[in-house]
Amino acid sequence: MSELLVEARGLGKAYPKVHRSSDRLRALGRLLFSGGDADRISVLRDVDLDVRRGESLGLIGANGAGKSTLLKLITGVLTPSTGSVRVRGQVGALLELGAGFHPEYSGRDNIAMAAALHGLDGAELRRRLPEIIAFADIGHYIDEPVKHYSSGMVVRLGFAVIASLKPDLLVTDEVLAVGDESFQKKCVRWMQDYLDDGGTLILVSHSMYHIQKLCRHACWLRDGEVAMAGDVFDVTQAYLAWHERKSAPQEAKPDVDRHNVEFSVLGMSLDGRSSEQPLLLDFGAPLRVDCRIRSRDDRVPSVAIGVTRADGTPVYGVSTDMDGCTPQRVGTGEYACSLAFDALPLLPGSYTVRVHPLDPEGVRVFDTMERTLTVRGATREFGLVRLAHRWGAPVAGDAAHE
Amino acid sequence: MNAMPPATLTLRFLQREFRERFTGSLSGSAWALLQPLIQLGVYSFVFVHVFKARIPGADAPGYVPFLVTALWPWNAFSEAILRSTSVIQNNAALIGKVALPREILVLASVCTSFAVHIAGFVAILLVLRVGTGDIAIRGLPIALLLYVPLFALALGISLACAAVQVFVRDLAQLLGQLLPLMMFGAPVFYDRALLPPAVQPWLSLNPFTFYADAFRVALLHHGSVEWQSVAVAVVVAALVLAAGIVVFRRLDAHFEDFL
Repeated sequence: MSELLVEARGLGKAYPKVHRSSDRLRALGRLLFSGGDADRISVLRDVDLDVRRGESLGLIGANGAGKSTLLKLITGVLTPSTGSVRVRGQVGALLELGAGFHPEYSGRDNIAMAAALHGLDGAELRRRLPEIIAFADIGHYIDEPVKHYSSGMVVRLGFAVIASLKPDLLVTDEVLAVGDESFQKKCVRWMQDYLDDGGTLILVSHSMYHIQKLCRHACWLRDGEVAMAGDVFDVTQAYLAWHERKSAPQEAKPDVDRHNVEFSVLGMSLDGRSSEQPLLLDFGAPLRVDCRIRSRDDRVPSVAIGVTRADGTPVYGVSTDMDGCTPQRVGTGEYACSLAFDALPLLPGSYTVRVHPLDPEGVRVFDTMERTLTVRGATREFGLVRLAHRWGAPVAGDAAHE
Repeated sequence: MNAMPPATLTLRFLQREFRERFTGSLSGSAWALLQPLIQLGVYSFVFVHVFKARIPGADAPGYVPFLVTALWPWNAFSEAILRSTSVIQNNAALIGKVALPREILVLASVCTSFAVHIAGFVAILLVLRVGTGDIAIRGLPIALLLYVPLFALALGISLACAAVQVFVRDLAQLLGQLLPLMMFGAPVFYDRALLPPAVQPWLSLNPFTFYADAFRVALLHHGSVEWQSVAVAVVVAALVLAAGIVVFRRLDAHFEDFL
């Protein structure tokens, strides 16, 4: 096991509620004389986090989930309200835009200050200055005051300083998003080299692409608590699925009177499990869907089974009458059928499997039952399903256009 | 935390402070020396030629040297406190984004005020030495030594004030009113001997009284200072500095919550 660089235990942060100026005076008195304080808004609770040397951790979460607060606690800008955080080694932090630059001073002066803040002395700075200016690549703006910079230039300058430091632990907070395409590429390439050289990274980003590309582990913060932590693909997929479910249209479920409609679903199961807990499946694994249908008049129903993405996007649907099958009669007015997928080509993510009974003609839908399914896997392919494909040498003549 | 050489960092903040003070003005750093000379001209005109101010006693020094030897140390002291009180608040953007030992901000601010005013002080003493000959220039090293406890006193008060200012924003305004009171409560503009005898001992309660007296003893051989009061002043300065550090450390962790 490599050395533990960041160790957080029961870490929490709460801000005092300050509405009137008299609150400030009271807070001051409490802090100076008793130490305790009341009335706080908690933004981060009970976070345990371990980051080892050479690890790369992506922090994800919705806005206001506490990601930036956690970074500030790690870098020591904030002091924890509860719990503790220990950081070993030199930390290079790029928190928010500006990174503490003074708007009135030139880029060059701000580099000097930032370098001093990171512990470089004058000689060391002179040695690295050309490298920093080259990395920032903002031309003559380097001698202009920072207040005239575009937000992209500020990030370039901030990143250039950090890049030259090669810290033990690099902490960046959603800064890549501001840079343009070529600078983003440069940063990502630099971070990859840095990680290959044994660097340690904590990255906050809303771009799952960057997270998956750069990080091996991820931690998902939801409302100030760790919702999930572990392998980057598992966590990012769960996080995206949560977003999809949140934005899925809330369809009003028709209140079906199961005994009076002609056909209704008695039960369904995925791989033999009938619980409503999502079924975890590895990418490419087989899946069996079983269902039992009640038929009021003992007529043979048709059964449709469909798969949708968690946000409601349909992926695939098929019914017994399309394929010329009939459900089996298992009792009076009770039919059952089973559908098997030998190797499910769904890409990692969260899906819903739905069962609908239809009239024998396959025209009218009577009922719906659904179960969720989570596909896991480490792949960066895009879309919903893996299409059968194969790369090959170009066929002579085919690609040649006049 | 980060292993940073605070010396380099303090130096950078010092440079920044200096630039902030003097780059806005046309003459740049020359202003640092020009300003006290102009001030000296104004005071000597107003007090000597308009008010006809005079120090009682047979071998008393002229009023201008008398004033200068106490007023410049006071200027360093009061300006250091006034400026550094709001220094944490003014650097909120930096404090919110970069982890740094915040004491450095206060330290740099106090250092700058003292550096500027000590330079001015020495310049004026040299001018007075050439002009009037009243100044005992051999007392200069002792005078400079006196700045050490004065600096500690100012730093202690500044640390406490800068920390409290984050919570109570009225402090800076309040200090603007209180510091002149403290100045008139010390023998800066007048001689202690001019006061009614019943009032005279009370003046010693003002921490600056010692410095006003001591600078004059060193540079003008005027009045007297007992060794006891030197010891008391040094102890007071050390205690105030320690108290300032305690208050600052205590509140430091909560700055971000209130900035």
